[in-house]
Amino acid sequence: MPRPIRQHFERWFESRNPPSTDSILLHNRRLYILPTRFGYLFAMMLLFLFLAAINYQNSMAFVLTFMLTSLGIISLWQTHKNLLGITVRMQIPRPVFRGEDCEFQFELSHEHNARRFAIGIQYQDQPPVYARLEPQGSAILKLKLPTRRRGEFRPAGITLFTRYPTGLFHAWGWLRFDLPVLVYPHPGDDIRLQHSLVEQYDGQTSTSTIEGDDFAGLREHREGESLRHISWKAYAQGKGLLTKTFQGQARPSLWIDWDLLSQGSIEERLSFMAGLVLAAEREEQKYGLRLPGLVIEQDFGNAHKHNCLHALAIFRQPESRPEFDIERD
Amino acid sequence: MSATSRNLPIREIPLELSSGDSVFAVCFCFLFALAPHFVHLPPWVIAIVVIAIVWRVLQNLGKVPELPKWMLIPMVLAGGVGVFADYWTIVGRDAGLALLTVMTSFKFLESRNHRDMLILVFLCYFLVATHFLFSQSIPTAVLMLVTLIVITATLITLNQRDDEVPIIERLRESAKLVTLSIPLMLILFVLVPRVPGPLWGLQSEQRGGVTGLSDHMAPGQISNLIRSNEVAFRVDFEGEIPPQNRLYWRGPVMAMYTGYSWRQTPHRELRSLDLITEDTGIDYTVTMEPNGEHWLLALDVPTQRVSGSHLTRDFQLISRKEINDLFRYRVQSRLNYMIGTEESEDYLALTLQYPEKINPRTVALGKSLAQRYDSPRKIINAVLQMFGEQEFFYTLKPPALLGLNSVDQFLFDTRRGFCEHYAGAFALIMRAAGIPARIVTGYQGGEYNRVGNYLIVRQSDAHAWTEVWIENRGWVRVDPTAAVSPSRIEQGLDSALSDEIADFRIQNRNPIFGSLLYSWDNLQHSWNDWVLNYDQRKQQEFLKNLELGIETWSDMVFALVLLLVSVTALFWLVVWYRERPPAPEIYETLFGRLLKKLSKRGYKMQPSEDARAFVARLPQEEFPERAQIERIADLYNHIKYGRRGASTSALDNLRSMVRTLQL
Repeated sequence: MPRPIRQHFERWFESRNPPSTDSILLHNRRLYILPTRFGYLFAMMLLFLFLAAINYQNSMAFVLTFMLTSLGIISLWQTHKNLLGITVRMQIPRPVFRGEDCEFQFELSHEHNARRFAIGIQYQDQPPVYARLEPQGSAILKLKLPTRRRGEFRPAGITLFTRYPTGLFHAWGWLRFDLPVLVYPHPGDDIRLQHSLVEQYDGQTSTSTIEGDDFAGLREHREGESLRHISWKAYAQGKGLLTKTFQGQARPSLWIDWDLLSQGSIEERLSFMAGLVLAAEREEQKYGLRLPGLVIEQDFGNAHKHNCLHALAIFRQPESRPEFDIERD
Repeated sequence: MSATSRNLPIREIPLELSSGDSVFAVCFCFLFALAPHFVHLPPWVIAIVVIAIVWRVLQNLGKVPELPKWMLIPMVLAGGVGVFADYWTIVGRDAGLALLTVMTSFKFLESRNHRDMLILVFLCYFLVATHFLFSQSIPTAVLMLVTLIVITATLITLNQRDDEVPIIERLRESAKLVTLSIPLMLILFVLVPRVPGPLWGLQSEQRGGVTGLSDHMAPGQISNLIRSNEVAFRVDFEGEIPPQNRLYWRGPVMAMYTGYSWRQTPHRELRSLDLITEDTGIDYTVTMEPNGEHWLLALDVPTQRVSGSHLTRDFQLISRKEINDLFRYRVQSRLNYMIGTEESEDYLALTLQYPEKINPRTVALGKSLAQRYDSPRKIINAVLQMFGEQEFFYTLKPPALLGLNSVDQFLFDTRRGFCEHYAGAFALIMRAAGIPARIVTGYQGGEYNRVGNYLIVRQSDAHAWTEVWIENRGWVRVDPTAAVSPSRIEQGLDSALSDEIADFRIQNRNPIFGSLLYSWDNLQHSWNDWVLNYDQRKQQEFLKNLELGIETWSDMVFALVLLLVSVTALFWLVVWYRERPPAPEIYETLFGRLLKKLSKRGYKMQPSEDARAFVARLPQEEFPERAQIERIADLYNHIKYGRRGASTSALDNLRSMVRTLQL
């Protein structure tokens, strides 16, 4: 397509299908309909029947041809109607690591007093999933999408479609949500904390930590701490969730530092760093993250882990086009 | 790939295996659509259909394995060879149907996924069309409408992707689609410009129809025909219907006599209209049922050619094509006429021939009559008198006439016969007496349908009579049957043979049942007239009579598009109205009005908030009337969630509060 026309088309498309952060109502302007391959086959059959009817001057063959033509016309708007007025909400999916499947959940609902059959959601050329909507009803459809890159993932080319009732037409609307999924870098396999690769920080050892030699007391349980350290005895006494702390030589806290990793591409380095984050979290050490232009102070716990992984995910992300995920591997 | 190209095309849906439910549905659908053809198909084809369907169903149940692909190629080839061996062709109506059936059955054996199932459903739609090559009657049309609903229900089942929907609901959905299609179909039927066919050569093929008259006449032939109450043709007269005894429908004329049977001479076109008449002529339209033959019936004698046919020198209307479909023609006849006054010598010689050695007594009778009387008229009258006064009987069940001299046997021994016996014997006597004579077969009489004001002529009205040639008078019709049984001609066969044949005439039935039958026949006649005969001429005539100014092709296309669009739009509106979302509650509308005002000021209620929480976050400094808004929110919550619900007073209160609030 020549460039000016393409740009014009893209502007037109954008204006009709603005990405949504909330919900998408499929109204007339958002719906598209075209014949399917079977629609074209059906049309060819009709043409053949028509010629045969002329040739044999067979009135009932004319009647049949026109009947089937009408059936086609009726199913055109019935297919369109089957999708019209459906509202789609998308749940923000949980972040995943690159290579894992990311589960998108869509809630479809409508207010019309009609059943909606065979409403499908399809991502590009993947097999679709289908649902049925009762009058004024709703349904939930889950779509598992493969992730191929780290970063913010806005899947393009998700359509809500239907071919009901006759399969002659394919009506669809684009589900363009501005709700990015975070795809963390793929954590390198089996990464242990190698002390040569992380900058150690030998701070004072006076703080109570959950690892150590001498029992120091109980303190309130923080989210993200291992269940292994909960004092179940105290819990049984009704004192709530308390964590046992110990005094002693605390493990050194760490800096996971971009500059210490000299080898490998950006992706390999990020992947390795993500592995280190997970390893540090597993070994319950305090860790911080240093990336060029960004420092995350030392801490630990689930929220901290996700902060760090987030930073890794969006680090030097290629210019974020809204639909960047399309290239095939 | 750019965003543009990604956003345009339809996504291919990867191949999906067909669900068990849909396999059963398609199998049933195919059998249903094919069933009426079982009488037309050879047994081996039916066997293939049954085996293929049973195999596919068992395969679906996991009882038998799927056939390997390589087996299908020899099967398809064998099927084609089988059809060819049976019909010596693979095209044409019958062979084509057998081929389609066999190949569809094999397609079942290799069908695996959704796409195959869709193709099979399309083949079922196609199968419906083939039924109309065999019959276009009203019952067939009704059966095919039901078949269409079944096929469409199958298509819906395939596209529903939901095995939990009950069959009855699928059928209802399908019936809805088909019913909605009917008005559009009618628009298309009336307005799509018709093109005269055929577009390509049709193989001449005997395509059904009831066998009527034959091209030769031997004793016993017409009496067989009499037992059929099938309609031969129907006639709409433009004026008065002539009296029963003038209704001689002229068909094949037979001038060649072999001693046993009478045969037609080769048709030769009438060069100059050898006709003398003072009649003004009777105009009428015949709607002939297909009979697979060439002759067109017309009142004695037709004086006009019908397009696509010619008038022979013996005043037969012969169509160039076989009448394989219902055929409607307008023609003119004269009842009082003189034809053949200038008949050629050759032809007259032919109509005097008879084998000398066969039927010697009859021949002798003829010769003696010629000696006794001096004019042909007297000879004719003498023979008719003999038939009328001696012990001759008119019967459908004459004794068998065996042996070579069948006319002798009839005339001198049995003396019981049907019209062909009398006509044949009479003609032979005439020839022996030196008077040129020939046999005319056709129909005599007909039944008046008072509901539709037309005449029904049945096969049972078949008749044979003679024509003799008299100098200066030409060919004169003489009906010897009338001499034997005058009631046959005056009142029809049923009165003449009331104790011998089943009564086909509606007029002799119980009056209530009778008028129902008349109405049914009238419906068939209108069906023939308006549906089966709706061709280019009829279309132009009909549109002209509408007086809407739809005359040219472009007018028709314009009207067509306009009507289609408006009817579809009407359907759309009605369905949209019926399926519209329920109207929001009044309190929602009122509260919505408030929310709209607030959103204009930049405050939007979030999905996570309830009314109260939202109002609570409005800053006091910006909204001095916040207390009022809070009261509205409270009342709204009260009505919506409170035990007392939406009482009239509460709603009025809410309405006035929203109205008085100035934002």
